[in-house]
Amino acid sequence: MRVNEELFAKITIAFSFVIMAVGGTFGLLQALNRVPFLSLPGALEVSDSTYYRILTCHGVCLAVAIPIYWITGLAAFISPRILKVELDKRLLALSLAMMLVGGVMATIVILAGKANVLYTFYAPMTAHPGFYWGAALLILGSWVFIAAFVKQYLQWRRLNPGVGTPIAIYGLLATFIVWIEATTPLVITVLKDFIPMSMFGKHVDVLETRTWFWFFGHALVYFWLLPVVAMWYYLIPKKLGVPLFSESMAKVAFILFILASTPVGLHHQFTDPGLAAEYKFMHTILTLIVATPSMLTGFNILATMERGGRARGGNGLLGWLAKQPWKDPVYLGLVTSMIIFGIGGITGIINASYQLNMVVHNTAWVPGHFHMTVGNMVVIGYTAITYALLADLFKRKLISKTAAYSHILLWSIGLFIFSLAYYYVGLHGAPRRTSNIEYGGLLPSTWILPMEISAIGAILMFSGGVAAVYAVLGSLLFGKTKGVAIEGMKIGNPHPETTEFNPLLENLKMWVIFAAVLIIVAYIFPFYEIFSRGISPVPPVETGLS
Amino acid sequence: MANDEGVIYEYVWIVIVSAIVAGMAASLAYYGIALDLNPACNATPIDVGTLTENFQPGVKQLGPGIYQVNILAGQFFWNPNKIVLEDPVRIEFRITSKDVVHGFEIVGTNVNVMVIPGYVAEFVWEPPKNAEGKYLIICHEYCGVGHQFMQAELEIKRTNTLLSGDSIGTTDDLGKFSEVKYLEFKGVIVDEG
Ligand code: HEM
Ligand SMILES: [Cu+2]
Ligand SMILES: [Cu+2]
Repeated sequence: MRVNEELFAKITIAFSFVIMAVGGTFGLLQALNRVPFLSLPGALEVSDSTYYRILTCHGVCLAVAIPIYWITGLAAFISPRILKVELDKRLLALSLAMMLVGGVMATIVILAGKANVLYTFYAPMTAHPGFYWGAALLILGSWVFIAAFVKQYLQWRRLNPGVGTPIAIYGLLATFIVWIEATTPLVITVLKDFIPMSMFGKHVDVLETRTWFWFFGHALVYFWLLPVVAMWYYLIPKKLGVPLFSESMAKVAFILFILASTPVGLHHQFTDPGLAAEYKFMHTILTLIVATPSMLTGFNILATMERGGRARGGNGLLGWLAKQPWKDPVYLGLVTSMIIFGIGGITGIINASYQLNMVVHNTAWVPGHFHMTVGNMVVIGYTAITYALLADLFKRKLISKTAAYSHILLWSIGLFIFSLAYYYVGLHGAPRRTSNIEYGGLLPSTWILPMEISAIGAILMFSGGVAAVYAVLGSLLFGKTKGVAIEGMKIGNPHPETTEFNPLLENLKMWVIFAAVLIIVAYIFPFYEIFSRGISPVPPVETGLS
Repeated sequence: MANDEGVIYEYVWIVIVSAIVAGMAASLAYYGIALDLNPACNATPIDVGTLTENFQPGVKQLGPGIYQVNILAGQFFWNPNKIVLEDPVRIEFRITSKDVVHGFEIVGTNVNVMVIPGYVAEFVWEPPKNAEGKYLIICHEYCGVGHQFMQAELEIKRTNTLLSGDSIGTTDDLGKFSEVKYLEFKGVIVDEG
């Protein structure tokens, strides 16, 4: 079979939504089952071991598999259209095969109950080797895609010297650079520690493997977000018919993401004994720095929206807000995802605030936070962008605007209820990743009511997810090639304004070198501490009971 | 670059953002350095193979109001799982795991530390003066299929014979929590005698 860009994008994007259906269902089951003292109808009740099995699947599918598939699909589809240069077809085929085989393999192992290790798979808990091999294959497959993407970009660069990189491509490049920064340490530890541990019983140092994992883990976060940020920059001005407020500020933001999204992983290890306060504090400062590009983005997009609203006749202090194309589900989704992400991002600053982390670490606060960030980006951001792709990529019209509106509305409302409840119980100490938080009746009474309320939020989120999956997969299966059209969104040439050439901003090679230096500086000290003290390897352990 | 009228706002915003970030960094540094409020950072490697000889779980009183509490975590228990302390001013915790990663949390306080096999986590908690009664201890890191069963109890009894009117202890609601590195005892394994 010949894999061209369109086929690649169709398969990966459609597959993302199949996964979303499965993962979202598990999310609902988790949310219901962890409400204290709630008796559920038999069909909805899951045993403890099933709980951790589906929780592993929920994390791996929604937070790792969907982003990889969807982002590569988006890039495969829009980059040849914008750059007018093709992607290498053989690399595309290889990448698709590796990613599908890897992802399906890991999922089967998880669903078979052979990998109850959650998506962080902390050593020395072990899973069946198929889990690690599957994950490695999925990630290496994404590297093959990135090779094709970079090759295409360099070809374009040769053909277009002195032209500024279009912002969408710039953002996707930043996304992939961050992904390479993130996955390199992960691949190192999976090959060096986890596969030997699960296949041959190798003893590994847990502090060391945790440090490798979070070296990956935070940059993973930016991999999730950056394509949506790139699409805010690309689609919002397009929809409004005005140029982006400041293209160079957008590029500066992406450079800051490249520089600071990786050397911050210790903010996930504040409570790990064995890492010195000084290094944790250094990562805290770097984490605060990586908050700046988000703030620059918020300003840039809002200024663009104001400019667009005024051009459409909105006057006064806030009149421009009323003149936005709110009826367009793509636009509504893009802006909603930005607002929710802003709120979720602020709670992230709390997590990252060194001392405050002790209050929220590993409590339900944390899922409250990341459903507002990544969950929101995937379900509202990725999905709204997919609506924009339907006509061009799949030659289908959106099957129902009502479904798209209800998706955005239900998910957002549900998410607020769910997350606020989780923030609240988290502040009162309720743990995350726990199938049952009754503790033999000793739980604080402050947990009970908010947990019940969170279940209502989860049901609304689930309904919103159903609407999203219906809107996308329904359009693919039953959508007409003619019908309710989304207001003219054609992916094509960027605005002429967006091709200005600034040598400093276009020199990505230099910024990647700076990023590498920063990463080495940030990680050489903690690793020195771990190795100079002498590592303390421990044998692998099963997850028990199952 | 943005249209000329926009550029000035852009710079103003960059200054505001930088000021916010610098302000946050400064306040965290202040709490860390001046008030000595830092997360648990100290650990001593220990061989899990010889834990039974080298690590004795239990409570030991080191002085008036000063306790050393050694806790062993495992799938799926805390040992000891009932800890009673009278008028504690300063509690020196030493916690390790015999198998996988666990998470030590005393619900309703800011005691929150990862328990990593191969390492003994060492930290100090100075409970607030008004801390009294029973506290739930849970495991907050997934450690296997029985993770939700891991719980223990800390009871703080107040006899008030010891420290009434004394200025030791903090008034902070959650109690003060700092690294052990400012203490005298740093030995790999303290002999329980
Ligand atoms: C129907 C919508 C969803 C519901 C009701 C839901 C519910 C939940 C609940 C209750 C937990 C916490 C379980 C625990 O800590 O014991 C959880 C964890 C998680 N969720 Fe969701 N979720 C949904 C959608 C999503 C989406 C769209 C994403 C990401 C794209 C996502 C990513 C995660 C991740 C990464 C975890 C952490 C897993 C772990 O701790 O190992 N969820 N979800
Ligand atoms: Cu992070
Ligand atoms: Cu546990």
